[in-house]
Amino acid sequence: MRKGSRSRTHWLIPYAAAGVLSLGLGQRSGAAADDARAWLEKMNQALATRNYDGTFFHLSEGRVETMRIVHRVKAGRVTERLQSLDGSGREFVRNNDELTCYLPDQHTVLVEPRQDHGPFLGSLPRFGADVDEFYLIESLPASRVLGRAARVIAVNPKDQFRFGYRLWLDETTAMPLKTQLCDAHGQVIEQILFARLEMPETIADADLAPAVHTEGMRWVRQGPSTEPPAAALSAYRASELPPGFHLTVSGAQTLGGASVPAAHLVYSDGLATVSVFVEPEATGKASTADTPSAPPEPPMEGLARVGSGFAFSTVVQGHQVTAVGEVPAQTVEFIAHSVKSFASPPR
Amino acid sequence: MSEQIREQVSAFLDGELPGSETELLLKRLTRDPELRQSFGRYALIGETLRGASNASLSLTFAARVNRAIDGEPAAPLQPAARTRPLRWWKPIAGTAVAAGVAAVAVVALQQRAVAPGLPVAPRVTVQNARLITVPKEALSYTVPAAPAAPAMVAPARLTSYVFAHSKYAEGLGQGNLLSTLLSEDADGAPAAPVASRDAQTAP
Repeated sequence: MRKGSRSRTHWLIPYAAAGVLSLGLGQRSGAAADDARAWLEKMNQALATRNYDGTFFHLSEGRVETMRIVHRVKAGRVTERLQSLDGSGREFVRNNDELTCYLPDQHTVLVEPRQDHGPFLGSLPRFGADVDEFYLIESLPASRVLGRAARVIAVNPKDQFRFGYRLWLDETTAMPLKTQLCDAHGQVIEQILFARLEMPETIADADLAPAVHTEGMRWVRQGPSTEPPAAALSAYRASELPPGFHLTVSGAQTLGGASVPAAHLVYSDGLATVSVFVEPEATGKASTADTPSAPPEPPMEGLARVGSGFAFSTVVQGHQVTAVGEVPAQTVEFIAHSVKSFASPPR
Repeated sequence: MSEQIREQVSAFLDGELPGSETELLLKRLTRDPELRQSFGRYALIGETLRGASNASLSLTFAARVNRAIDGEPAAPLQPAARTRPLRWWKPIAGTAVAAGVAAVAVVALQQRAVAPGLPVAPRVTVQNARLITVPKEALSYTVPAAPAAPAMVAPARLTSYVFAHSKYAEGLGQGNLLSTLLSEDADGAPAAPVASRDAQTAP
């Protein structure tokens, strides 16, 4: 998969604004903004390099999920486990090589290779001043979370095409004890609130082992495809983008259960990221004459909520186009609707 | 929610609940789905009352939330903020209805529905200076009008998209997306359907 100049960072660090805290010094950097950035850098380092074991609430639309995160750095290897404690029983376990998603309620285990071999700190994205054009970073009055003194940092979007963040960072460890996802008006969309956070010197293997019994479960592998997408798919690009977004990755992705790779495009403004998948054909075509008894799977069209983000699907010239991201609905709509095929792909 | 639990939740959301009591609250919440639901609503109202600035309000957070839930006026609040809880209860109801609909394998979704509080510019025009335009495209863009008919999206397919996307998501977005995959909705699919705009914004 071809990537842009900016390398991606570690994943599965919950509510860690790895991207947020990698913001470079920009034109607007006053002393307060510099201080805020320095705290974000501290948070980034803590999240990537420390051991921690915590339980947090994930609040969205009045719903609460209780989850546990365990993160261990041992001999240069990072292992993480994210576990739902009160709902689905789902778990993610990630090591340097792959991510495994246990979905006991769907009797499925989803596995995807992950290529994050480099040290986390070495692979952090470094953003230039261009991010300042779309986000304003500032320090807010200090507060308390979990009985601890906390620095409060806000990353405010300057328009309606992206979300912002507020982070409550532990004064001692710089760990994010509380984070909020906000819209351009400061309205809270989703928040994460730690109820327990420990940072032990060592973490036992048992704490990183999934609790799910996988007997009888279906194992599905997906990931970047070694085969390039068909030429017809490679020709698709967004013809226009919201301000600040640019193409950072283009490649092929095998989606769960698919026999042919889809084209995968990634657009980013430095913090917010949108993936666009272009699949070989709208699936509604497949099941008519040959399999009259099988219920047709209709092509997808429309908007779906994905946590605090959105997915928008449409059909373009017979191909299924889906934009997904932690961005407002209008951003995925904007991008999905602008996707079109270019006979000669742009270089 | 009992008065004792309410006080615990208030103290927790104020960041002042002692560690031992936080552990107890956490255990209760993990065991009790109804309590979690109440806690979620409580936190939601609390955040709405907090608004963008905590510092400007003289009442403690707990007092403000208690007053809001008890229906008492919260004197220090600005008029605009005072009306917010009512607006936020509606979206919760709308989402619950939508979650029920999601019990079938395929979810009917109305296009252009929005999250609660999420503003949608009816028509968005972007000036050419910031657009990345692939050869010879028009230098402005207008979000197309939504089709009248409901759209169909199979929620299970979203899992694959979100899973593949998550490794490229930066910062907070990545964690939130992955938490979404861990969450359980009514249909066991990770993606919650979007309630219609009408349902969410009804007065």
